[in-house]
Amino acid sequence: MGTLYSEIPSWMHRLPAGLKLLLLALSSMALLVLSDLRIQALAFAAIALLYASLGAASRPTRRLVVVALIASALVGGLHAATGQPWLGLASGLRLVSTTMLGAMLTATTRFGDLLGVAEWLLSPLARLGLPVERLALQLGLMLRFAEQFFVQWQRLADAYRVRTGRSGGWRLLAPLTIHMLITARNVADALAIRLKL
Amino acid sequence: MTTEHRTETRAQRIAMVALFAALLAAFGMIPKIDLPLGVPITAQTLGVMLAGCMLGARMGFQAMVLFLAAVALGLPLLSGGRGGMGVFFLPSAGYLVSYPVAAAVAGLVMRALTGGGPSSPARLAGCAFAASVVGGIVVVHAFGVVGLMLLAKLSFVQAAVGTLVFVPGDLVKCVLVALIVHTVARGLPDWRFGGRHL
Repeated sequence: MGTLYSEIPSWMHRLPAGLKLLLLALSSMALLVLSDLRIQALAFAAIALLYASLGAASRPTRRLVVVALIASALVGGLHAATGQPWLGLASGLRLVSTTMLGAMLTATTRFGDLLGVAEWLLSPLARLGLPVERLALQLGLMLRFAEQFFVQWQRLADAYRVRTGRSGGWRLLAPLTIHMLITARNVADALAIRLKL
Repeated sequence: MTTEHRTETRAQRIAMVALFAALLAAFGMIPKIDLPLGVPITAQTLGVMLAGCMLGARMGFQAMVLFLAAVALGLPLLSGGRGGMGVFFLPSAGYLVSYPVAAAVAGLVMRALTGGGPSSPARLAGCAFAASVVGGIVVVHAFGVVGLMLLAKLSFVQAAVGTLVFVPGDLVKCVLVALIVHTVARGLPDWRFGGRHL
């Protein structure tokens, strides 16, 4: 499974992941707090310029920005319909601005670099029992299981079609869950032995 | 508890947390239906309900945190191939961040309703339905409404009316969870729902 990271280099690729994450957090917080339409419009213009400056590197995230534009138009339209067009405009601009900020981070930061920052940020959650130090292992397992879901689903769907001549659809969810739970138990046994967990 | 049992427990926890995070990722591949306000109907809340009912509060919470971490790190795991930090600023962000709490609440309700003793598959299914309603509908929509109010600057009434559109579909998902739990209870009789099997 691919990520939304762009291999096409841009000026933002050279910034450290932690710094980009910090800037994202601060700027999005400021955008949420400030409600003045002029500030939102200025911020939108500046962020749109920054996003455009990434050039082809922004390509993997453009669909997300389009989704944000559509959502903003709908939210703005709803506000306008209830007699608050300026609030709608400010909210719409804020939504697109913050989405573009997040998209810029994602498109220009490698998965591994973000993972390193995330492990550091999530370390307090270790107190809640989250095995933060094994985040990379769990992410890898999660992706492997996701593939297995599709393989297993396909097998069950084929078997159902052969038996009944019809598509299984939602009927396959329960047997799929049982298959996957058994698989996960076997994986847990292997992990316990190999990694001495 | 012996050392051997403790080590097995940790491995099982890692595997089950990853499995249910993967379940959400797999449900993300099912096409979404876009509704007004930019909040889509997806199959992923079904995974949230299942995680709570099957794993219990603690591991359900962990599975959802793992899934959201993967999304935040840029994996396109949400419906429609969305991912990255940007999704946490969309109007639907409230629904997204509710997942860990919703799974935890569903797990707590499941555990409270099933009690300590063995239960029949039919009773477990009923408990799963109730747990899914509380965790997967009440909690998710409460967070969703707050998200719409904060991010889209909607009034409470506007946000509440907007979120009601999803409730009928979510009730269907609760029925599906009950059916799945019923089948799992028959297929894996040793599975302890609500997080007591580890």
